[in-house]
Amino acid sequence: MIANTKEVKDEGFDIKRSAEEVRNLSFKDHICIGCGICESTCPVDAINVAEIGPIVREEVDMPKIDIDEDKCVLCGMCSGLCPVDALDFTIDSEPISNIVSYPHYISSAEIDDDTCIYCQRCEIACPRDSITIARSLPERSDLVTGEIEADEETCIHCGICDEMCPTDAIDVDRTPGEESIEIDKDKCVYCLLCKKICPVDAIKAACRICSYGDYDLNPEDAVTTGSSFIDDETCVKCGWCQEICPVDAAKVKKQYEGTLDIDEDKCTVCGTCIDVCPCDVLSFPESPGPATIVDNIHKDEQYCIHCGACERACPVDAIDVKITNVDYTPTKSKSWIDKFEALKN
Amino acid sequence: MPNHIASGLKYLAAIELKKQGFNQQMIADELDIDRSTVSHYLNGRNLSWNSIEVAKTITNLCPKDFLIMTRTLFKDEQKTRKIVSICKSGDYHAEVTDSCIGCGLCVDLCLMKAVSLDSLKAHINSICCCGCLICQERCPTNSIKILEVNNDREYERS
Repeated sequence: MIANTKEVKDEGFDIKRSAEEVRNLSFKDHICIGCGICESTCPVDAINVAEIGPIVREEVDMPKIDIDEDKCVLCGMCSGLCPVDALDFTIDSEPISNIVSYPHYISSAEIDDDTCIYCQRCEIACPRDSITIARSLPERSDLVTGEIEADEETCIHCGICDEMCPTDAIDVDRTPGEESIEIDKDKCVYCLLCKKICPVDAIKAACRICSYGDYDLNPEDAVTTGSSFIDDETCVKCGWCQEICPVDAAKVKKQYEGTLDIDEDKCTVCGTCIDVCPCDVLSFPESPGPATIVDNIHKDEQYCIHCGACERACPVDAIDVKITNVDYTPTKSKSWIDKFEALKN
Repeated sequence: MPNHIASGLKYLAAIELKKQGFNQQMIADELDIDRSTVSHYLNGRNLSWNSIEVAKTITNLCPKDFLIMTRTLFKDEQKTRKIVSICKSGDYHAEVTDSCIGCGLCVDLCLMKAVSLDSLKAHINSICCCGCLICQERCPTNSIKILEVNNDREYERS
């Protein structure tokens, strides 16, 4: 009498049921990280998540998940519990994240444009290429003039100004014993990025165009303007941007708190987990020399979203990912609360 | 022939409404038929007794068969709801447990429109419920219990 229809598209599928209301579940393969949470969540066992390792290594070409439309009852739980929103569930075209009775994760990634200095470190670091930082800088031909000097006494020669200077005007030599900082005033456009980045306030700079010679210009009035954008669709809230931001403009609230443990006795250092991890948490340790045998996997746990994709993909069961806390919006439905709480195992 | 049986069901509904104290005009409005037809029904004219016998047999089938058969005869869900709610021979009480996930399948399946969703949980209006058990049978989480609280069917399956 009431049947679901399934339409397979280029990249995913659509399952639909229309009677009293139109319920629609669609899947975005490029967003899916293969964590398998939907598979264990589905109350009718309709979801099958493929082995993710060979897919991300491009050894096989197949969709990451498959849903049996005959079994699917379109409850929306897989969508509600997907940590990266790879499954879209709508009722009468309204996404359930907008419907109050449906719970969803409390997670976010934001860049505060008032604080942001548009240095683009987060854009480079983002493992999902979700961040776009656009900045406009003054050019020499705009006849910008100003003053700039670095206090060699205070400077710790960390090199961040050298790394971030948009016009390559700063050169920091970090050779131990010969540390120095040099600023090429012919290249400097007095954007004051260096002044704002410097962790020890060693750079004094002022732009005459905008400050009329006030040497201690308020950095907020500086001339580097721009805009930041985080693509919420691809962002997994891993925290790389927050960790790397020199001025604490990026704030990330993860969907889960938890732990990530790798059993080094079991680990064969095959690298499957490194390929699978959506947020570059895992890596081969840097080897001091070519002959070194790598015998463990290095982890940067502060970036882990505890999705469990690596645990699922590990061929020797060496990884243990535990979720200790989940934040989600309140709901009256006990069965939905149970599903969110069940993640903590 | 199906039309005759459908008329038989309308006849039974008219008699039932009469018992509840409806006057002829009210019955005509309720069943969406002419007042003169109601008058004929109540006076036992214009209908073969055979059709009425068949209609009676249908109302005494198990609730699911009664519902499906009525819908097949009327080919109209609103009319089906009307006839079934008037002629149903039992009263039901529905319970939905907390294991309900709010998938809404029961809402879509219920021909009587007795189910609605509130806060991700199904709520079943026991007054509208005809006891067909379609929702209970198809519920993916076995969260629905339909209990029969009163039964005045003539023939009970032994």
